[in-house]
Amino acid sequence: MLARVANNLFWMGRYIERSEHIARYLNVNYFSSLDAPNQLSQSRQFVLRSMLFMVGDPELDDDKHLLEEHVLYKIGVDHDTPYSIINNVKLARENANSARDLISTELYEAINKFYHFILNYDPAIFVKNGLHDFTLHITEMTDILRGKIRGTLLHDPVYAIIMLGINMERATQVIRIINAKYNDALNSQGGYGDKFSKSFEWTTLLKCAESYDMMRRHYKKTPTSVSTLEFLILNPNCPRSIMNSLNQVYRHIKVLDTTTNYNKNATAFLIGKVRSEIQYKHIEEIECNIQAFIENILNNLSEISLKMEKEFFNY
Amino acid sequence: MPLEYCIRYNTTNTYENKVHSAYWQFLIIPETNESQDLITTDFNNSLAAMNEFSINGYGFSTIRVNPRKNFQEITFNAEFKVLKKDANPFEFDPSQNIKEDYLRLNSLNFKVDFDQFLKNTPFTTLPDSSMGLYQLDDTLSLFDNLQALNTWTYQSIYFKVGVTDVNTTLNNIITKKYGVCQDFTHLFCAIARNNKIPTRYVSGYLHQGNGYFGDSQMHAWAEAYIPTIGWVGFDPTNNVLVASNHIKVCHGKDYQDCAPLKGIVCSQGQNETQYSVQVISRQQ
Amino acid sequence: MTNIENKIFSSYQRDSQLYDEIFDEEGAIKQVYQKLFNLYGEHSIEDYVKLNSKAKSSFFNQGITFQVYGDKETKEKIFPFDLFPRIIDPEEWEIIEKGSIQRSKALNLFLWDIYHDKNIIRDGIVPMDLISSSANYLDQMNGVDPPGGIYNHISGIDVIKHKDGKYYVLEDNIRCPSGVSYVICNRTALKRALFGVFNHYQTYSVTNYAENLLDLLESVKPQGVDIPNCVVITPGMYNSAFYEHSYLAKTMGVELVEGRDLFVENDFVYMKTIKGPVKVDIIYRRIDDQFLDPLEFKSDSAIGVPGLFAAYKKGNVTLANAPGTGVADDKAVYTYMPQIIKYYLDEEPILNNVHTYHCSRPEELKYVLDHIHELVIKPVDEAGGYGISIGNRLSTSEIELVKEQIIESPRKYVAQPIMSLSVHPTYIDETEEFEQRHVDLRTFTVLGKDKEFVLKGGLTRVALQKGNLIVNSSQGGGSKDTWVLKNI
Repeated sequence: MLARVANNLFWMGRYIERSEHIARYLNVNYFSSLDAPNQLSQSRQFVLRSMLFMVGDPELDDDKHLLEEHVLYKIGVDHDTPYSIINNVKLARENANSARDLISTELYEAINKFYHFILNYDPAIFVKNGLHDFTLHITEMTDILRGKIRGTLLHDPVYAIIMLGINMERATQVIRIINAKYNDALNSQGGYGDKFSKSFEWTTLLKCAESYDMMRRHYKKTPTSVSTLEFLILNPNCPRSIMNSLNQVYRHIKVLDTTTNYNKNATAFLIGKVRSEIQYKHIEEIECNIQAFIENILNNLSEISLKMEKEFFNY
Repeated sequence: MPLEYCIRYNTTNTYENKVHSAYWQFLIIPETNESQDLITTDFNNSLAAMNEFSINGYGFSTIRVNPRKNFQEITFNAEFKVLKKDANPFEFDPSQNIKEDYLRLNSLNFKVDFDQFLKNTPFTTLPDSSMGLYQLDDTLSLFDNLQALNTWTYQSIYFKVGVTDVNTTLNNIITKKYGVCQDFTHLFCAIARNNKIPTRYVSGYLHQGNGYFGDSQMHAWAEAYIPTIGWVGFDPTNNVLVASNHIKVCHGKDYQDCAPLKGIVCSQGQNETQYSVQVISRQQ
Repeated sequence: MTNIENKIFSSYQRDSQLYDEIFDEEGAIKQVYQKLFNLYGEHSIEDYVKLNSKAKSSFFNQGITFQVYGDKETKEKIFPFDLFPRIIDPEEWEIIEKGSIQRSKALNLFLWDIYHDKNIIRDGIVPMDLISSSANYLDQMNGVDPPGGIYNHISGIDVIKHKDGKYYVLEDNIRCPSGVSYVICNRTALKRALFGVFNHYQTYSVTNYAENLLDLLESVKPQGVDIPNCVVITPGMYNSAFYEHSYLAKTMGVELVEGRDLFVENDFVYMKTIKGPVKVDIIYRRIDDQFLDPLEFKSDSAIGVPGLFAAYKKGNVTLANAPGTGVADDKAVYTYMPQIIKYYLDEEPILNNVHTYHCSRPEELKYVLDHIHELVIKPVDEAGGYGISIGNRLSTSEIELVKEQIIESPRKYVAQPIMSLSVHPTYIDETEEFEQRHVDLRTFTVLGKDKEFVLKGGLTRVALQKGNLIVNSSQGGGSKDTWVLKNI
């Protein structure tokens, strides 16, 4: 496989996954805030700021009054915002285009349909009353795409590279979402004796990662800061957890790198190292300095990405 | 007695910003032909990148360099040793039948054989207004005419560096009357070709021991094909026939076919090139 | 008469001045179309409206589109596809197929000759300036022996049917002829929409193009290569024919590369893969000569590969089509085709040439200037239908303008009588009816070492504007599925 095309496939996977997480974040936060138990969590300004924080474009001016339509437009369908959902989907398709000869017709057709759906979505309707419809459609379409990836591609290096992209991005996005909601939980403390560890934001966080039901089934209790973080970071059976994402990344890199020799410079070595560090952590170690942990993970992920680029995508 | 020449070609390119990708192709190796033998070739670059010896589209020897790393400065050093026969350019049998020579120029087979060096390129096209600039005298032999053209070209342009560059067209040279060796050569080629004489642009080195113009750079001259004699070299920049001081590298339709260095460099900002050529003679 | 009963053709207007492919002069349906005509008659025009929009969205979703560059954003457009197929009976096809092979072979011999001994010029068959003043003649190719002796591996020959019912060649495209992917997509789309009609005809399949192409390309591998590695090179995904490039790579099962994926080392070509460099032996190139190698041709080409031409000249890689084939693509060369075929093959041309007037010849120039209103004026070196003027469509002032252009550079223009392209019933969106539209046919011929292949189908192109004679997609043309019958 061409190194350039491998790079494109990797990023196709990343952009598909990224658009899903942004879409779900908008949806869950917007709609769960409507009946949130405390006033701050209900506040529209609070939710809009959380959205901007999650996409990496936080509003720094505390006094600024944000316009809902403006923020939704910017994150959802603005062609001029690099991180907007529409741009993510556009880039996913562009990357798919350049690797068209390698991916299945079915997968390409699904990506193409996805793109045309978003391109033709009326922005006026989206910002007014289309948020639910639009974001739901995106999360459903990305599920279809994952299905097509799994079901219509040979499980060969092409597949492995796409899955690497998806899982690298999943780990990144989940950790970003944790960061955003952790930040929200800190900010929303105090109202009606709502303590940090029992914050309503933990439920929202789980829903943002589509993991609320799984978590309830596992712990059978109302989510707290500790149980939520443990589940989303460390539980290898939760498909959205950092642990599981890294396990997947490791599994797929081994398809590309089949050597078993000790090689401390290989990407696979680094992934294995990062993975093992998390595997043998317990949540109390993380909880005492969550901020440092988040930063550390993000650094590790970008280091893996760079190494991968050098080893496999160098053209 | 053959002459031994040592030719040194050095160039240093400096860039304001890092260069991420670059290709160079050098067309500077003296060819081996009837009058010269290339004895040794030595080429290196300061980045220790691979020097690939190859050919260009016309079959002349080239060196390609593609450093696969970032850099801001690169130096190339080349050294060639050439043995040159000491020949007299007037040593040929003068044509017996001038009229027949002119008829040959008009025959279809001749035109087909020399098509490449009969057609004019953008660099060797005279503006319409200058079509009658120089007339051949058909009572004289082709050789005599070309020699007269050589002198006329020499007298029509003042040698001056920096007025023209590699993109200057003949129109500009005729009106401004300044130029360097490639401009003299282009003008010579244009007029000779307009008179149906196959003429090629030659790139090479000039040994300047005799005070010729050549400006310690690569030199250019022309070769015209005269039926019954063959290719004859004319150096209109110096108003001489090509002899043992001229060391040929390659020929083509014009400068573009013979550019000593082609480069494709991806970099932002300014760059600077230092370049020098030395031709040293060692009498054997 | 049957067509009166036929619901979908009830309002079909037949211009008796034009050669209709499916109705004869009396308005009766031709025998070969009878079954199709009856089958289509079972549907109502409303069914067609639905089927048509379905077919369109299928093309759109599959991303079988080309880019149109607008002021603000590039738009994607589908290449309009017509649901009513064109049928070519076995007898007619034999003429087209043999004629296409004959022309391709003659052109190949012509190219070998003009890049070697140039005997055809020495013998006075074609004039010297056909090569000496052609911008597409590559001096660098002089004396180069392309692997297997093949220059025009892939030729796209455009033929039309004139009023007299005979096929004429309009153009030979031997640079990078495109359109073959549409032949296959059209078939797929028609099968999806109206699968029932296929049972009633014995039609040749068109899906074998890619494997034949690969087989023939591999037959001209460089010397000393055992199992050749073939790639398709594209200028990139923003090129209007990118869909076709990726389609060909995919169906041949080879890599689709861009210039930046390749590099040359010691005069061999390699591609950069995730496992390091892999040698490349055959390149089906879909980029023009001038952009192939920035060290040899246009130095600002960002889509080429530095050093590629040296590798080619050394015989280490096959380029298809060979560099320099464009010289025989010239419309001035076209006019000598009957002589070229005779000279190299000692055969009479199987397909007719349209008579051509050379504006470079004074007496013919005079004729052209006096008869512009009955002629088509074409620039000799433009592709894609650009720069064509049709005499009887021009106003007086436009005629004067064209005359001026011709007088200024007569070598640049040729003129031909206005050929009346045959018409075919075509479903028209605006009127929701079947109407007569002009069509041509592009055939695809592949030459390999001692073997050749003609795709049994080809691309029927339709000029969708009423009365328009220019069928190129860049000029708003559409296309039809084309059936070559095994038997009647």
